Amino acid sequence: MKHDFEPKIVAFVCTWCTYAGADLAGTSRLQYPPNVRVLKFPCTGRIDPVFILRAFQKGADGVLVSGCHPGDCHYMAGNYHARRRFAAFRKLLEFVGVDLERLQFSWVSAAEGGKWVEMVTGLTERVRTMGPLAEFKELEQAECWSGKLDTPELNEAYQEI
Amino acid sequence: MNNKAQQLDVTPLVEATYYQAVTAAIRSEAIRLLGEGKVAAVVGYRAGRRNNSALPAIVTSIDQVDQLIFSPACVNNLALYLTKAKNEVKGKGKLALVAKGCDLRAVAGLLGENQLKRDDVHLIGIACAGVYGAEADRGLPLCEATIARKCRECTVHEPQRTDAVTGILPKLKELPHLESEELARLEAMTPKERWDYWQAHFARCIRCLACRQVCPFCYCEQCLCDKNRPQAVESSPRPAGNSAWHIVRAMHLAGRCSACAECERGCPMDIPLNLLNRKMAKELKELYAYEAGLEPQEKGPLTSYKEDDDQSFIK
Repeated sequence: MKHDFEPKIVAFVCTWCTYAGADLAGTSRLQYPPNVRVLKFPCTGRIDPVFILRAFQKGADGVLVSGCHPGDCHYMAGNYHARRRFAAFRKLLEFVGVDLERLQFSWVSAAEGGKWVEMVTGLTERVRTMGPLAEFKELEQAECWSGKLDTPELNEAYQEI
Repeated sequence: MNNKAQQLDVTPLVEATYYQAVTAAIRSEAIRLLGEGKVAAVVGYRAGRRNNSALPAIVTSIDQVDQLIFSPACVNNLALYLTKAKNEVKGKGKLALVAKGCDLRAVAGLLGENQLKRDDVHLIGIACAGVYGAEADRGLPLCEATIARKCRECTVHEPQRTDAVTGILPKLKELPHLESEELARLEAMTPKERWDYWQAHFARCIRCLACRQVCPFCYCEQCLCDKNRPQAVESSPRPAGNSAWHIVRAMHLAGRCSACAECERGCPMDIPLNLLNRKMAKELKELYAYEAGLEPQEKGPLTSYKEDDDQSFIK
């Protein structure tokens, strides 16, 4: 089926659980939308809120952050710390006016290939109905200064150099 | 703004004699400390050249002690001089610090983050009624028309856990909480309105990084936002990079900020930065019952966790 809009989804995943879960989905021949770009991290605790912000700024329409279930962290407590940090970061994004429907957090274990498919499909379809993330795309294009570099005075000054 | 200021009450919140008494007390404490050799320097305030202004002063000998003053113009947060960003001051030896309530909260934060040992600083706490706001008419005394927005809802007028306390404040008049009202107004907006509000502010930012320079908690030797290869935050003053900078700044201060509002005061473009800090403080109080206070806390809300933290937002 052909769609008018193919959203770009960036997934930040932990290597021990969700990455293995996505691998399981692949080896199990489960189908999910190819819109997702998976980025592998050692742990959800390594996923800095800056990464999420930068993904949005550089053209992602949706972001998925996924890691081990609480208690399953390979590094004992990385996901507990990440959980608090993301809870705070969500509140901050909400306060500056970002739509939180485009940002999805999930716990997907290495055995949950099906849940991974469900997460990716759900987010992709939700973002597809919402359309492109216009705010950040406009922001990326915006310039502070007037951008008028071809005024007669400036051209004249340039010619004299 | 001026019209509005004129409608406000201009009766002084505290008498001028109060400031004279505090100044005298600071000087006598400084003379004692420097005379006994207890400290290498006293970090306080001295009068600025312009009418009713003040600057930070680092006093190292008894004959300079007469410079020290305290007035409502003493706006700076001197806790900044205790961080490793100011090693040239810290390197002098043990410091005595003249500290208002909000400065003491920053000191408590630095103690909690192991940036400082309690024995390395002699705290001269000041019972502070408030300081001038950015646009205050310095000809007027400290009053409702001139007081800074943060001081209207100050909870730390009386210092605690200090080595010396100067001044006993009279009962202060309760003032309307303008900052909380502004925060409530923003929270009631739609996301689109909030986005437009913040983008209008962030677009004006010139990336002078004054907010970072005055912040006692921005002491990292290398700021994430200065890094390139890979670049985390765009460094040119464009709207995209500006928004990222202010969001990252608010995030890095979440659970650490002592609400001294120095970032807002230092901002040459008058961006209401303390609203971001206040919002994060409010959310962290709701989520994890954490509040910055005068008592040093070993762990901040984002450096600790509980197994049963809320995870309703995670599928």
